[in-house]
Amino acid sequence: MRVAATTANRVSRFGGGAGAAQAATGEGGAHRRLLPILLIVPLLLLMVACFVWPLTSSLINSLHPHSDSGPILGQWTLANYRRLLDPFYLRVLWRTLRISATVSLLTAILAYPVAWYAATLRPVAQAWLLMVYITPWLVNVAVKAFGWSLLLSTTGIINRALRGLGLIDAPLHLMLNETGVVIGLLHAHFLFVLLPLWAALSGLDRRLLWAASSLGASRLALWRDVILPLSRPALVSGVIINFMLNLAAFATPALLGGSRVQLMSYIAYRVNLVDLNWEFGAAVAVAMLAISMLLIVLARRLGGLGRESVA
Amino acid sequence: MRRWLAGFNAAMVAFMLAPLLMIVLMSFTPAGGFELPGWHWSLRWYRAVFAYPGFIDAFFLSLRLGLATATLATALAFGAVWTLQRRLVPGVTLLDSFFMSPLLVPAVVFGVAMLQFLNRHGLYNSFIGLLLAHVIVVLPFVVRVIAAALRDVPRQLEWVALSLGANMPRALLLVTLPLSLRGVVAGFLFAFIVSFDEVTVTLFITGPAYQTLPVRLYNYLTDQVDPTAAAVSAMLIFLSLCLILALDRLGGFKTMRR
Repeated sequence: MRVAATTANRVSRFGGGAGAAQAATGEGGAHRRLLPILLIVPLLLLMVACFVWPLTSSLINSLHPHSDSGPILGQWTLANYRRLLDPFYLRVLWRTLRISATVSLLTAILAYPVAWYAATLRPVAQAWLLMVYITPWLVNVAVKAFGWSLLLSTTGIINRALRGLGLIDAPLHLMLNETGVVIGLLHAHFLFVLLPLWAALSGLDRRLLWAASSLGASRLALWRDVILPLSRPALVSGVIINFMLNLAAFATPALLGGSRVQLMSYIAYRVNLVDLNWEFGAAVAVAMLAISMLLIVLARRLGGLGRESVA
Repeated sequence: MRRWLAGFNAAMVAFMLAPLLMIVLMSFTPAGGFELPGWHWSLRWYRAVFAYPGFIDAFFLSLRLGLATATLATALAFGAVWTLQRRLVPGVTLLDSFFMSPLLVPAVVFGVAMLQFLNRHGLYNSFIGLLLAHVIVVLPFVVRVIAAALRDVPRQLEWVALSLGANMPRALLLVTLPLSLRGVVAGFLFAFIVSFDEVTVTLFITGPAYQTLPVRLYNYLTDQVDPTAAAVSAMLIFLSLCLILALDRLGGFKTMRR
């Protein structure tokens, strides 16, 4: 009897269990409340101090006028944001959006057949193929960009090969321009469209396809009316994540685009670390964050971008 | 149709691996510049790496930073995720989204915020500043991997431990942790690799004194380029490959394909 009571008491310290009510009072209750707090509060504090607070204070910074000795705290202004409407920055923004969208579109077109093919493989083959596509993601971005420069530069392998074959006289300019950036980003963020598509297509109930064809659907109709609609949420959310990553990429465009292809991320770097204008720099960052947030909301709406939660 | 798809897939695989293979090939060149090695392979550029203290120092800094980040992030995430999963605190869904939220903030934006924050508190260009930033960056990955691992641990086993007289921290440490060890190790490795490869945020918050290996490489590439960079890069690729294989053995990628 005594053993049973102790057990119930102990069990209830984990929450739930048979004796939760019993443990709400007394020594067990104190324990039960203290441990979770000890376990979760450090991370919570760290997140607030090193994530929420830095972002918030940059937001506040962006609302103050700039002076050489830091923000003028007594004054509030929107001038930093107005400066973003300057034609130069609008051009940079437009270029960033255009390149990001190009990459996302190309990725979607190229990832679809791969995902379709991969989903039909045996599980072991799928696991290996998955690793092949994950590998470039886990290799350092500077390394990847360097690899591309060995292939794409005017003295790179591709140009040398084409010249050796006598196909071109003058070298093709494949990098230090937008082409280089598109190739680099396509390679870097391919995974993020491929993975959700792959999951959606392997989860696709193949009986639906048999059903459709037995009812007389042509191949085209099968794609248009069954496969595409069923994989659309995965495609949309993948493409939006991909777009977000393109938008924020820094090292890849810097190394493969050179100084001629300046993107928003480069402007954020230059304003903050070269011009040392943190108030305007913060405004650039806040603008980028706002665009990203907008895209996330859009992804949730259109694609049902759901994350599995930890609980 | 199927053959066509297989061919297309092969082409995409080639596209994915081409720059990496190119680096590895180039790193063995005996020439003074970027010539593909023919029959003669050489390790001269690997020797050049080890003769260049910039890369060696940066490697050890990255190693220390990666290990410290992974340890801190794994420990913090393990406790927090366990608490959330056993629903011992209110607002589980909210807290969960909160811990995953660094994933939603572009690295450049976080870099700018951290630069301004660390500077104001005198932590710019310091190890501790780097550590704090990296823990935030790797956190969502660790949380997700550890959550998957903890989900597989039956709560009943914790209850058994308690009924046999263990107190809660003891049960957590001697029952829950060993049972989820694979996932915890996977989370640790994931954190290490993400921290070890981080470039963008790190570029914003370090000066010359604390250059991690990828940042050193980035600066090297924007400055001068010789096959030493290929040798360093090849070693980084090899390291990534080892970690990816280890992660795969531990089932760390299961959580990637939802």
